[in-house]
Amino acid sequence: MTDLLDVDGPAAPPRSNGELVFDAPWEARVFGLAAAVVETRFDGDREPFRQRLIAAIAADPERPYWVSWAVALEDLVTTTGLLPTGAVDAAVAGRNPSHS
Amino acid sequence: MSEDHHNPTPPSPIEQRVAALEELLTERGYVPEGFIEDVNRAYENDIGPMNGANVVARAWTDPEYKARLLTDGTAAIAELGFGGPEGHYVKVVENTADVHNVVVCTLCSCYPWPVLGLPPKWYKDAPYRSRMVREPRALLAEMGCPLDDDVEIRVWDSSADARYLVLPARPGGTVGLSEDELVGLVTRDSMIGVARL
Repeated sequence: MTDLLDVDGPAAPPRSNGELVFDAPWEARVFGLAAAVVETRFDGDREPFRQRLIAAIAADPERPYWVSWAVALEDLVTTTGLLPTGAVDAAVAGRNPSHS
Repeated sequence: MSEDHHNPTPPSPIEQRVAALEELLTERGYVPEGFIEDVNRAYENDIGPMNGANVVARAWTDPEYKARLLTDGTAAIAELGFGGPEGHYVKVVENTADVHNVVVCTLCSCYPWPVLGLPPKWYKDAPYRSRMVREPRALLAEMGCPLDDDVEIRVWDSSADARYLVLPARPGGTVGLSEDELVGLVTRDSMIGVARL
């Protein structure tokens, strides 16, 4: 299985301040989701995802790590055509009609 | 960290977004069934703890390494290529016939993840966190690790400043085993201190 987590460096997950790697179930979901996409669509090559993760963290260093992870994954799947642009927005709106 | 599960709040925007992403990717067949669960389980049980198991097996086979490990866990762990940023201090505590060490984090869920991977779910549960301090012997017995009354139990409370790794006692009958074979004997739970080997 591809090891998606950097031990150190700009893309390494949080591990100081007593923080858990995963503080909420969605974080574990989005972690596994990225692993699945890397495995099934990129032949286990994590680099395209990793570069986007580094960029997402650099774009907003204050943002929680797993939010940047989700942003990176969304960027990966839309820029490589796995999902059409806007599909996630539409799906979110569909889940939450009162806010659409 | 909030422990209040009695007032469910609606999913946050990020939760909704991740759920939508998962739905879309799954619909397109990019997420094999059970994959996410398998990945999480692997990180919890195999990938992370393997690093710790390497550290333990080295300590069992190399007395000088063991001495360094017990003196400065962070540096000795880094020798094997595992570790985190500066100041992320790992203290290694040794189990013997007379002393059993167990690790807990009463405040949050500190965990030496570079050597143990993702923490198991029970590690962050309030009952584990409080009972391991209050009644470690009873809780260890319930978790399948009964200890004789004359074994001293030392409970180590992790914090952001100090993480603990238990060096389990080397099991008997393993004299002829290679370091690689020994690695396979070391379990995550033994390095948290809720099991003996």
